Amino acid sequence: MMSDKTHEASGKTQETNPLNPDVTRRTFLKASAAVGGAAVFLGALPEVQQALARLNAPATYALADPTNQIYSVCLQCNTGCGIKVKLADGVAAKIDGNPYSPWTLWPHPAYDTPVKDMATVEGGICPKGQAGLQTAYDPYRLVSVLKRQPGTKRGEGKWIAISFEQAIDEVVNGGDLFGEGHVDGMKAVRALTDTELAKEMGAEVALIWNEKDPDKKKALVEEFKTKFKDHLDVLIDPAHPDLGPKNNQFMFVWGRMKGGREDVVHRFVQEAYGSINMNGHTTVCQGSLYFTGKQMSSKWNAAKSTFDSGDKFYWQVDTANSEFVIYVGTNLFDSNYGPPQRVPKATDAYINGRKFAVVDPRLSKLAAKAWKWVPIKPGADAAFALGMIRWMLENEKYHKDYLAIANVAAQTAAGEPNYTNAAWLVKIKDGKPGKHLRASELGLLEAETEKDKDGKDVTVYVAKDGTKYPGDTPVALVEGKPIPIDVLDPEAAPVVGDLLVNQKVGDFEVKDGLQILLESAQEHTIAEWAEIAGVRESDILELAAEFTSHGRKAAADIHRGPSQHTNGFYNNNAWYVVNLLIGNFDYAGGSIKASTYDRKGSKKGQPFPVTTMFGEHHFAPFGIDMLRTKTTYEKSTLFDGTYPTKRPWFPIATDVYQEDVPSIGDAYPYPVKILMTYMAALPYSLPGGQKVIEILADTKKLPLFIASDIMIGETSMYADYIFPDLSYLERWEFHGSHPSVPWKVENVRNPAIAIPGWPDVKVWGEDIPLSFEAIFLGIAEKLDLPGFGPNGFAAGLPYIRPEDFYLKQVADIAFGEKEDGSDSVPEADDEEVRIFMEARRHLPKSVFDPDKWKAAVGGDESLWRKAIYVMNRGGRYQAFEKAYKGAQVANKYGRLINLYQEKTATSINTMTGKPFVGYTKYIPAGLSSTGEEIKHDGYDLHLITFKTMTMAKARGISNYWTLAVVPEGYLLINSQDAAQLGIQDGDMVRITSASNPEGAYDLQNGKKQPIEGKAKVTEGLRTGVAAFPLGFGHWASGAADQEINGQLIKGDPRRAVPLMANGAMQLDPVLGNVTLSDLAGGSAVFYDSKVKVTKV
Amino acid sequence: MSDAPQKQDVLVQMQVDLKRALEKPKDQRRWVMVLDLRKCVGCHACTISCVAENKLPPGVVYRPVLEEEIGTYPNVTQRFMPRPCMQCDNPPCTPVCPVNATYKNDDGVVVVDYDQCIGCRYCITACPYGARTFDFGATYTRGTPEVAGLIVGQQTADDYERAPSYEYGAEHARTGDEESPIGNVRKCHFCLHRLDVGMLPACTTTCIGRATLFGDANDPDSVVAGLIASPNVMRLKEDLGTEPRVYYLV
Repeated sequence: MMSDKTHEASGKTQETNPLNPDVTRRTFLKASAAVGGAAVFLGALPEVQQALARLNAPATYALADPTNQIYSVCLQCNTGCGIKVKLADGVAAKIDGNPYSPWTLWPHPAYDTPVKDMATVEGGICPKGQAGLQTAYDPYRLVSVLKRQPGTKRGEGKWIAISFEQAIDEVVNGGDLFGEGHVDGMKAVRALTDTELAKEMGAEVALIWNEKDPDKKKALVEEFKTKFKDHLDVLIDPAHPDLGPKNNQFMFVWGRMKGGREDVVHRFVQEAYGSINMNGHTTVCQGSLYFTGKQMSSKWNAAKSTFDSGDKFYWQVDTANSEFVIYVGTNLFDSNYGPPQRVPKATDAYINGRKFAVVDPRLSKLAAKAWKWVPIKPGADAAFALGMIRWMLENEKYHKDYLAIANVAAQTAAGEPNYTNAAWLVKIKDGKPGKHLRASELGLLEAETEKDKDGKDVTVYVAKDGTKYPGDTPVALVEGKPIPIDVLDPEAAPVVGDLLVNQKVGDFEVKDGLQILLESAQEHTIAEWAEIAGVRESDILELAAEFTSHGRKAAADIHRGPSQHTNGFYNNNAWYVVNLLIGNFDYAGGSIKASTYDRKGSKKGQPFPVTTMFGEHHFAPFGIDMLRTKTTYEKSTLFDGTYPTKRPWFPIATDVYQEDVPSIGDAYPYPVKILMTYMAALPYSLPGGQKVIEILADTKKLPLFIASDIMIGETSMYADYIFPDLSYLERWEFHGSHPSVPWKVENVRNPAIAIPGWPDVKVWGEDIPLSFEAIFLGIAEKLDLPGFGPNGFAAGLPYIRPEDFYLKQVADIAFGEKEDGSDSVPEADDEEVRIFMEARRHLPKSVFDPDKWKAAVGGDESLWRKAIYVMNRGGRYQAFEKAYKGAQVANKYGRLINLYQEKTATSINTMTGKPFVGYTKYIPAGLSSTGEEIKHDGYDLHLITFKTMTMAKARGISNYWTLAVVPEGYLLINSQDAAQLGIQDGDMVRITSASNPEGAYDLQNGKKQPIEGKAKVTEGLRTGVAAFPLGFGHWASGAADQEINGQLIKGDPRRAVPLMANGAMQLDPVLGNVTLSDLAGGSAVFYDSKVKVTKV
Repeated sequence: MSDAPQKQDVLVQMQVDLKRALEKPKDQRRWVMVLDLRKCVGCHACTISCVAENKLPPGVVYRPVLEEEIGTYPNVTQRFMPRPCMQCDNPPCTPVCPVNATYKNDDGVVVVDYDQCIGCRYCITACPYGARTFDFGATYTRGTPEVAGLIVGQQTADDYERAPSYEYGAEHARTGDEESPIGNVRKCHFCLHRLDVGMLPACTTTCIGRATLFGDANDPDSVVAGLIASPNVMRLKEDLGTEPRVYYLV
């Protein structure tokens, strides 16, 4: 039930009626201020004496006291800077940079510096971080669960407040919840409850998928139906058992979610509830960047002679040590993971004479400081890069010795940190590159069966000289002779291959990856590449010459700019390949990757393997996921040999945010019955968001919609239930790291404040704050889900409170990654324990109960003190001097980088039926999902977006301090275009497009939001391009009126300021209800739209 | 590693400088601020940090950053200029005060005695740098809704605005709508209350470009002493003879 306890800022608790605000905390504060010390007497003294008293008063600066400070992690954007929350009587009064964190000081001080010595030290954070208090203390934050008022429509803005208990009961049990007929709840949708049966069914589905013969596949489906004839009712469609159980009709979608919470969601959705559908938001940010990384990092599987999946990740530049950087569509002075940690290194570099260039249609603040600003045509990034690649290859300005290394053995011998497949031969068929040539195809190896040490038959591949290989291998030419490559064995023969091969080997026409690249780069002259990119030929030549003048200490740094195009995958790949040609990966000043301490306890010896501790049983969910990312169309029973599919499948990308809601709308591959969203701003953040609204508002397409949100936001305003969440200053999370941080780290977000009056709820007999975690614990209790409850982790090891999960993760991080514990942090001494406890004296017991916290790490005193040691520092940070070993980084990527991507080249684009291109290639931007050009008659301006330093996309509008700096969004337009259109600086303009000729969002229920804002005429933008900053133009999140229990919650006009123009962006003409997408890399397309701008 | 790591973050270096300066008698130290415009990236972290540190209400800003676009496409750039109080050695703002509420203190910082200030605002007009603003007693959360039990509401949300500032070493909680500094003229004071406990000004520690530098110009070993001897140093409106203690590196 809702507690009627009110937590006072002082940490005291008093009984008040939440509906009767007579006893407000203001009156309390006023009363308690009198206890503040000398101040109380001052009023009674004559003026002169007052002045003297002040003069003699000792310096009081309570914020400098370590017991008034809690170290945590920012979430005002996704950078994750360490913060120090300074408390005045339990109120967060100021936020500064956590001095232990490599994000805020460079170099960061020693990790073992006593916490009391850091009380007066602080590092730099950005204006959003400074304004974080206003996210926590936002008047519009909800403190009660809301239910859409029965009899009103979704999005109408009428709500009733209900108790947490009632809300959980309704979402679990369903019923006629809104007077619109029966709605299935979480219980009914979870048709499959037998975890053993799920495992058996899942195994059979895997067999169906792996069967290539269509008739045999059909037979396997029939066998499935026979074998499970008594349980077919648990399936979505028995004719297609691979759609999985009805459980899959519960889908969870998140916007910004970090470690910890992500692990809990995984446990709830997958292992406990048994649904396959949990999707992140990756593709709305820079998805194609992650998935280019995934394909370039595909791992060679020696036994299977094929590639396994790579890692969803990306590389960034080692900002501190690079001698020359080309920043492409990346803006580290305003965003980009992130300013506090990258800017000091960048300013230090250029003040000391190091050059950098910025390739961006807009003169960003970064570009303002650049040696060269290249205002490229949006979407032509790969053309520019291929111009550079052509010059580098033809002028032999690439690292031949590195690229020739073809396996681990040769890499080790050369002392390199990684190697590529540049020298591996690729078979060419009809002029097109396909798969790598395998040694057995040339007869270099023959398969033989032998017994392994357990007596099992295994296949090995044997060369004529008797050398055994673990599987069929790729081949390189070495001095013209084909040689099998034992890729992974460090003891095998090193293979240093010939480069630029183009010949016949045996019966096969072959080229190596580098030759394929050269030919792709030679599709155009450099002058032609420059023309395509809309730049001068000299731009390409000058950047190429500078880039190749610093050995391995030059790098191209890419981010959202090149990514969010229909050709994003290939733009990113082209720039990564520019880096690869000089071999800068894993080198100081080159391309590096993130490194974090294991928070899942998956290393030997770590105390709590939390993501595999489920008590007695748990689900292994199965079936095709709603976004069609986890299996391929061709493997599924939906495959009928025809293309295009109703909606695209994504064999490479996952977490395709723009597909979540349209897939629900089309019920493809199956209908969703319950959607739960978390920190998601789908209609606001996505291009073409108006189409998202249309579907979310439709109760027939989406019968039940539950949202976790801190206020009534652009997504949650269409929900049936909103569960209020804690802000980032009140909760747990593990923020992880970013690629440009060379140190191994983990950032620990932990509760720093409690909002006065915040309600507690009761789950599993425990009082915990109303929160995201409460939803899962509450539903799990009601449905008796595995992985939760008194034996949630193991017999006697409960998961009944939020910290039961998170503190185990803190303990894992504190323990480190060596089995013998030698990597663990020190135990907090008594003084540090005292500071830890006192700093949390204002937190209510439902948040901070030392006994319960200690119990969460198993009651072990030593582990508890180590956990305190980590929390006292806001995380764990590798020592400054440990980041590099010689010229290389210590925390290496360290393995195969695919210059040629066999895995991509063998993946099918289901909208065309053709395979994706597996190498660096220029493909024009802005094509439809079927690869057609889109006509933009009458719409001539190219619309792009950017970020200002003061805003982080969807969140930030509640921060009045930063709004004072940039009070509203605007449309940037070059003065030449403005003159042509008769637009003056400050004119109100409307933005229309072929996809949105009206230039408005249809918010449903008769409400419209015009796509209008003021023009800002500038010289700092490529002509023909218009740009707007993300973060403004809200129609919820406190911007518009809402009504709860008949009481009006008036919107704040400061939060309703223009401009949001995502709604004017180009929709895919084939699919109709979704933005353009990069079907390879998954990105939602922000930068390939043409618009008309008219004065209103 | 290819580059020798710098020994310390300049923030740490300056804090060490500061501690050394604090050991000297007040009249032997000379606080100055150096703004390296080459390193200022126009992020406004200083602006907001100052607002948060000193609990500044709407309309009161000690530390704005001005932005300017220069040139024509494609030969164009931007310039960012932070503009704190210049802490002039010859301040035009202090003589106009009818009640001597504003003066240069022992530290050479132009301060406002909130108890003496009558809010006449002559000094605002007198300052050639626009460094002074008036506290009308507004709050950022004013006008936001208050609906108990449903939303956090204005009365709880303004906790952070009502929390005390520590300006001039005293607690100024804005618990009401009238007490000082409401009704006073307010201005940058180099965060004297932080200097007192060995901390740099709030704008300085949060400067992500490390463009804001602070310290004792009389200490030849300090970071700032080295910088103000550079040939590329300038001060604003020097022709007025105000002798600012804020230097710009261009």
